[in-house]
Amino acid sequence: MTTALPATAAPATGRPPRGPRGLTWTVLRLHRSALIVWAVVVLGGAAVLLWAYGPGADAAQAEWDRVCAGREACVWGDPIHDYDRLFRAAGLGLNWLPVLVAAWAGAALVGRDMENGTARLAWTQGITPVRWLAAKLAVPALPVAVGMTVLVLLHRLVSDAHPLSLGKWSWYTEDNFQANGTVAIAAPLLALAVGALAGLLLRRALPALVAALVATGALEELATVASRNLVPWETATGTGYQSPDHVIVQGPQGALTSTGARVPNPMCGDDGGTCLAAHDIVGYYTHYHPASHFWPLHLVETGLLLGAAALATAAAFCLLHRRTGAAV
Amino acid sequence: MTETAIEAAALSKGFGRRRRKPALDDCAFRLPAGRICALVGPNGAGKSTLLSLAAGLARPSEGTISVLGQAPAAVRERVAYVAQDKPLHPQLTVADTLRFGRELNPRRWDAAVAERIVAEGGLDPDAKVRTLSGGQRTRVALALALGKRPEVLLLDEPMADLDPLARHQLMAALMADAAEHGTTVVMSSHVVAELDGSCDHLLLLGAGRVRLAGPLDDLLAAHRLVTGRADASLEPHTVVESRTTGRQLTALVRPEGSLGDGWQVTAPTLEELVLAHLRTPEAPALRLDSAREAAV
Repeated sequence: MTTALPATAAPATGRPPRGPRGLTWTVLRLHRSALIVWAVVVLGGAAVLLWAYGPGADAAQAEWDRVCAGREACVWGDPIHDYDRLFRAAGLGLNWLPVLVAAWAGAALVGRDMENGTARLAWTQGITPVRWLAAKLAVPALPVAVGMTVLVLLHRLVSDAHPLSLGKWSWYTEDNFQANGTVAIAAPLLALAVGALAGLLLRRALPALVAALVATGALEELATVASRNLVPWETATGTGYQSPDHVIVQGPQGALTSTGARVPNPMCGDDGGTCLAAHDIVGYYTHYHPASHFWPLHLVETGLLLGAAALATAAAFCLLHRRTGAAV
Repeated sequence: MTETAIEAAALSKGFGRRRRKPALDDCAFRLPAGRICALVGPNGAGKSTLLSLAAGLARPSEGTISVLGQAPAAVRERVAYVAQDKPLHPQLTVADTLRFGRELNPRRWDAAVAERIVAEGGLDPDAKVRTLSGGQRTRVALALALGKRPEVLLLDEPMADLDPLARHQLMAALMADAAEHGTTVVMSSHVVAELDGSCDHLLLLGAGRVRLAGPLDDLLAAHRLVTGRADASLEPHTVVESRTTGRQLTALVRPEGSLGDGWQVTAPTLEELVLAHLRTPEAPALRLDSAREAAV
């Protein structure tokens, strides 16, 4: 007859732990401190913006009503200064967060793993390098995208509800432009992809950090310039340079000839007439993007950033595949 | 039945664009499954390169290498590899490092084996890897490798930073585990003594080429250490290395038939065999692994 099997005969698999499994677990566990820092950044930013939306705005409005309402000129106090400073800091922070992401992705996400050999450790487990990289990109991309979306929505909320009618706080000024739309969400995703590619290429944390910062900054700048020229400019003409209202971005300026041709300003200076006549100048023009171009500009730049991110990601996968001969 | 664990044909690997001096140059060998193979050679002979090719961490420049009959990249799950510098995540605890192994090898992970190896070293599961000594890290790295129940275990200088006692104990644990599960082990070292007694197969690399390959007993049996008069001829035997002191000549030879009278003949040790080949790079290579394949 059979006897009871000893308890130890069963393989000691243990209870499956709760929560994320597999590569997701490893990426979350390895970058736990980065995740905590990111949570603090997002929650801190959200707190600042919510304060600005509620108590900050109320206090600023009260101060405005107290010292400025109905007057030609006024000198306001701390409540307005604080509101102004915090709101601008939040916008500036949102513009600079991609840099933080780029530095982290270049140095810590992939570069350090390549440098100390732990990438090779992962690749010799039961997963392929391609899946390893996919997890390295996808797992951070989610909190980055979600966090940035929350911050952008809050920033828009504050921006739209702005209590004071001062031009420099208008939501279509360049200060607030990026933080109010999709560019702010796409830029850190590009930073993530560029950082991972730099880490794979350079295989060392510090050079990858520097390369990721430089490349992300350059690509962002390029996308900004390109999007301004891809969305057709509005043109204002007149006898002098025009400065139309509600401008997000002012573009190139120049002079107009009698045939309507746009030429560089001959810089005639004070002597006026004869010089202008010699160059056949009858007026001046200014290219600009009005506030109504906000979404076209944002969507074109977002598309460029995401396109660049996709290229960087594809390059990273190609590189990894070529080096390791990875089966999928 | 002899299954092949690792087989290489015309295998070369160069680094950099110019590929001036390849790390591996036209290597061919065959390692049957279930062997404990010593991968021996001086520093820079290509041992680490060969192991990383077999682990699917790099692609050959030319030629092929197959592991368990497939491309190395296709059998990651069945192969374990411990790199020379024992890379581990410094911020993880020992327990989390083992969980790392379990999460990335969900179908094969044997927690009991990994935990036993760690426990035998008296390691605290909650200790961070960055606080461990070199020897303790080696133990964790080996636990990670054995926990995935590999069919082929590739170890690059596994015992280099262990004290003699720990080395002896870990080697015994490794050999017992390999014997129990029929694991093929390839262990590189430039310390021959470290491998003597545990290995039954030898792969000797020199300057990126295979110098000796085959079952250890067959290789030893194919060589003789002879001592005789300095003016005696060793024709027609293949002389690997000969040294003359005064009127006496000592040589390692591959006998072609009977050695004849006048020679004092002994069997070489593994160390003598390896050193003689390393001291004379021009000695012809000897492969006994493919012949055996046909014979069995």
